[in-house]
Amino acid sequence: MAKPVKRRLRKLLPWALGLFAGGIVLVLVIAYSGIFNIAASAGHPAWMEWFLRLGKDRSVIVNSQSVDVPELDLAGLVPLGAAHFQGGCATCHRMPGQVLNPVYDQMLPPPPDLQTHAPMWTREQLFWMVRHGIQFTGMPSWSGHDRDDEVWAVVAFLEMMPSMKAEDYQTYANGNAGAISKAQNYSANEIASQGRPKISLSACDRCHDTSHAPPTSPYVPSLGGQDKAYLQRALHEYRRDLRQSGFMEPIAVELDDEDINNLADYYASLKVLAGKPARSLSSEGAGLGRQLAEHGDLSRKIPACLSCHGANKRPDYPRLDGQSEQYLRQQLQVLQRGVRAKTPHGAIMTTIAKRLTESQAKAVAAFFAGQSSTEYAGHKAGEGLR
Amino acid sequence: MMTHTIKKMLCLMILLALAGCDSRQSAFSGLGPVSSRITLLIWIMFTGAALITVFICALMAISIAGPAGWRQKLTTEKNIVWGGIVFPIVVLTALLIYGFLILNAGGTLAQAENPVRISVVGEQWWWRVIYRHDDGHTTESANELRIPTGRPIEIELSTADVIHSFWIPAYAGKIDMIPGRTNILHLVADKPGIVTGQCAEYCGGAHALMSFYTVAMAPADYDAWLAKERMNAKPAHVLEGEQLFLSAGCAGCHTVRGTRADGKIGPDLTHVGSRLSLGAGILPNTTEGFGKWISRHQTIKPENLMPPFDIFSENELQSLSVYLNSLE
Repeated sequence: MAKPVKRRLRKLLPWALGLFAGGIVLVLVIAYSGIFNIAASAGHPAWMEWFLRLGKDRSVIVNSQSVDVPELDLAGLVPLGAAHFQGGCATCHRMPGQVLNPVYDQMLPPPPDLQTHAPMWTREQLFWMVRHGIQFTGMPSWSGHDRDDEVWAVVAFLEMMPSMKAEDYQTYANGNAGAISKAQNYSANEIASQGRPKISLSACDRCHDTSHAPPTSPYVPSLGGQDKAYLQRALHEYRRDLRQSGFMEPIAVELDDEDINNLADYYASLKVLAGKPARSLSSEGAGLGRQLAEHGDLSRKIPACLSCHGANKRPDYPRLDGQSEQYLRQQLQVLQRGVRAKTPHGAIMTTIAKRLTESQAKAVAAFFAGQSSTEYAGHKAGEGLR
Repeated sequence: MMTHTIKKMLCLMILLALAGCDSRQSAFSGLGPVSSRITLLIWIMFTGAALITVFICALMAISIAGPAGWRQKLTTEKNIVWGGIVFPIVVLTALLIYGFLILNAGGTLAQAENPVRISVVGEQWWWRVIYRHDDGHTTESANELRIPTGRPIEIELSTADVIHSFWIPAYAGKIDMIPGRTNILHLVADKPGIVTGQCAEYCGGAHALMSFYTVAMAPADYDAWLAKERMNAKPAHVLEGEQLFLSAGCAGCHTVRGTRADGKIGPDLTHVGSRLSLGAGILPNTTEGFGKWISRHQTIKPENLMPPFDIFSENELQSLSVYLNSLE
């Protein structure tokens, strides 16, 4: 009984192979002939639409399963995510209180209106899409390599957006540059000649500190009072894709050398706002942070932070005092992952950051967050040369 | 073709082997009483082993192809007892006792009065050298050992991290530096000269590049040198290099006594300009050497624990190098 079946199968084999080869040839012929219409205007037939959607959705669901969600500080992350959405995503995905741009709406597939679509996805899935992008849809992957920490800010915002009123959104998205949106009445002449004024992507005030306000998010560094050389270096590194940030890189490429020079001058002379008191830290932790900052840890070969970041530092080294604890911790983690090792300055700090334990990183971030610039100017390491 | 390659390889191996005969880092040079006794022991053992090998070969030849009478004699019980049991016991015991006596040579040095006391701490991958003065004070230096001739030297060996082994072949046998322990090495240098030492226990990535110079000096020269070493660095003529050293963070790891630089993580640089080498016996101590070390030390000595400082302009590198080289 078994034998004839086997024999029959063996007879069928050449037919199956032939059919398979024929199928491949047919696909090639169709592709080469150009009879398949790929025009965005043509749209997809219903069966194709169903098939593509199935493939895309399943891919997002399956691939996002390995995503680990960290604890998200929503209040801190939303302003940052909002400002980036405004600068990078809103063009295609529509901001609250606006209609979808008719040009981008003609893409195939059209970019989804995230106010209705974002709630359809889980946190992991949103993260995966923003982080990796989606093939053939025009959705790019995150431009800051290995900066997952930044992607979470966008995810936090996307979860919040559907319930946001247009005014709230504007407040978040324009940040410290908010004043411009309040003056709504532009003269016809103004609009006719220059267009309706809008806040450019390169408006630093959207996130960073101004003379009257601190940064909009604790994950944004305060720039006022940093040395010019450091500010210039940072912007050049972002522009040349040497320092990774999905937020800062697209902004830095819009700046030319002169802009960078002027901005660096501006922030170097911007006076530092008297910082908010740092988060309370146990006295043991505070002691550890101070110890590391002033003396380092000989057993782990960690030099004193203030030997590079003290008052007598090189102008191209950053000042740390008065930065938020969250920002400093995040940067230490980015350094520990080796993301900043591509730049010569980053390479120095990468070596040191990798020697810090988690509790040391936490303590030292808290220590600098608690220091105001006046406090540390009187520190021992800040004394002049002998 | 094949034989050509083999010949080349042989040449190379012979050259390499000959390089070992350079007396600077050779156990055969025997420049002190301890090492010369060790050298004597090596020769006694080598000659003895050679004689015994020849004798055994002869016996084997006889037992295979010798006259029947001789072969018969070799099998007697008396020969086996004397040749197989008594002879090895006597020879090995004699060697052991002789070995103990040589070990004791270091021991008698230990009882010598008023030795020169120096501590050496093995670090990945350099040597922290601490000179102990008679008045109880200490002077820290690094990657170079200076000793007076004719006086007993007592070196305390310890480690800051993993197991290292301290070996100056020309003066003494090697002694391990073991975490949690302090081992003592005694030696005497017979005459002035410069030899090299090396870490002799694999201790991680840059182990092979963990070397140092040992300079034996006439006692008067040594005293003068130590007095100078003990002093703070002279104020820099040109402040630019010193300013760079302090502002770039070098002071976080390195000490230059007499300045604000008081880092303890890396080698003390107070008188680094007067040392024979840089990077623990790796580069010549010149202005160019400093420049090379600062800008490219991770390629010169891969995995060493100093962060890469690829941030200086040509001019900055030059002033920093000039400053460091001036620390004599």
